[in-house]
Amino acid sequence: MKREFLNPGTLGDIVTIAAELGVVAVGASFLMISGEMDLSVGSNFALGGMILAMLITKQNWNPILAFIFAISCSAGIGALNGLVTLYARIPSFITTLGAMMFWRGVALYLTQGWPISIFENIPLLGWLGGDRIVSTVHISAIWWLAIGVLFWIILQKTPYGNWVFATGGKRGAARALGVPDVKVKLINFTLIGLLAGLGGCFQLGRMGSMSPVWGQDLALEAIAASVIGGNSLNGGVGSILGTMLGAITMASIRIGLVMIGAPAYWYMSFVGFIVVAAVALNVMLGEVISWSK
Amino acid sequence: MEGKKLCKWFGRVAALKDVDITLERGEVVGLVGDNGAGKSTLIKILSGVYKPDSGELRFEGRKVELDSPRDARKLGIETVYQDLALVETMSIARNFFLGAEPRKRIGPFNLLDTHKMREDTEEMLKDIGITVRTAHQEVSTLSGGERQAIAIGRTMHFGGKLLILDEPTSALSVHETNKVLSYINEARNRGLAVIFITHNLYHVYPVADKIVVLEHGQKVGDFRKEDTSVEELMDIIVHGIEGDRRSLKNTAT
Repeated sequence: MKREFLNPGTLGDIVTIAAELGVVAVGASFLMISGEMDLSVGSNFALGGMILAMLITKQNWNPILAFIFAISCSAGIGALNGLVTLYARIPSFITTLGAMMFWRGVALYLTQGWPISIFENIPLLGWLGGDRIVSTVHISAIWWLAIGVLFWIILQKTPYGNWVFATGGKRGAARALGVPDVKVKLINFTLIGLLAGLGGCFQLGRMGSMSPVWGQDLALEAIAASVIGGNSLNGGVGSILGTMLGAITMASIRIGLVMIGAPAYWYMSFVGFIVVAAVALNVMLGEVISWSK
Repeated sequence: MEGKKLCKWFGRVAALKDVDITLERGEVVGLVGDNGAGKSTLIKILSGVYKPDSGELRFEGRKVELDSPRDARKLGIETVYQDLALVETMSIARNFFLGAEPRKRIGPFNLLDTHKMREDTEEMLKDIGITVRTAHQEVSTLSGGERQAIAIGRTMHFGGKLLILDEPTSALSVHETNKVLSYINEARNRGLAVIFITHNLYHVYPVADKIVVLEHGQKVGDFRKEDTSVEELMDIIVHGIEGDRRSLKNTAT
């Protein structure tokens, strides 16, 4: 089993699975660092993929235009979450819980609950996730890496990143120093919407089809990946690299369980165990470090 | 420089009624009064968080409108709030430059100048006598006094002209309070105007040049330190309205 797990084909599968989850997880951790969360990413993911598939198959849109339109819709859904949360002043947990249900319903309505498939050979789908670069590694892994690097730079190396940390770390202090905290949160809500739609398009690209029921656990998986990677649910603390490693950890569990022949049902149990263990370990390490100071 | 603020009042439930306050360069003004006296409303107006409903703000002789804390910071008005001075989960360097980050252009990107951030922060820390291993250390590892010192140091670094301190000593030990008072002295020596808000008269009295007393949103006393005493000020804070009459008499003479 060990040798099989380490062969390039398996690693490729892990990276491919990690990429689709990871794109959304990067957005989730970015938003979480600024002090909010988005539970609607799974519905947004499905909707993004479905809009793209429907525009191509039913409306005969130019695939590139359809792609831009689909991820714009997803970004719009994210922005709407942000506007409602920030202007109605309700917790994003509530706003996005409602949005999760609402947009899932819309996705189901669009195809009356049926999955939608694309049978034609469309280059765009290859570019999004269908093409393999080496062995079993799909091209979406490259996009994920690029997005990860981009968001890492934004967070660590730009003034905007400093505002994201400050907004989530202590909103009042950020505001008192002139950080546009509302704008920061709104932008981050929009970004996670965009990334959720993009994740859906990647999966559509790889599978050639999208079902309105896919991505049901995605929001919690993305939050789990962020938390395993050291992000704080309270905001203000976190890293993109950690989140990406968190996504890889989760993908490894998924593939690893299949490799050892364990029923895939155990996946959720394992992830649950690791989330709790990772956070407990984080707290313990934090205490050890502060004692040694 | 002259930071001069004229009459202004605030709100439906008048939180501040026709309060005048004048600040000169190199002067420390103690703003005292009980809870709910209007101290924080006044400083929020001065720092751009609230807009006054009437009255006007003048800064260096010109009339100014402050729409946000950002506007105020641009003019050189820096505010250090009691528990909102720093973000504990961020490094000292990131905090130091928060909202005024140094940038360097690399191609089309506007990136943080992390090198300058570290160097300037470490220089400032040395300046005010705080020893840390690195400027990347998290603020949560610092004591309350060190945090106030860093916030004050930040103002001086950014060429602030008016420093507003909200209860800078309220959560500090005696030793740390004295340190913060010495930073306030240092700020004055560098020509800043300082407003020091507190409800502990004994903290502000040693450093203040002038003491303003607020009560129920009104100014009930405005003294130069040499014209008054701790006892008299206490009397005004405690007895309010009678104090008001006495202070009027006092300013008349």
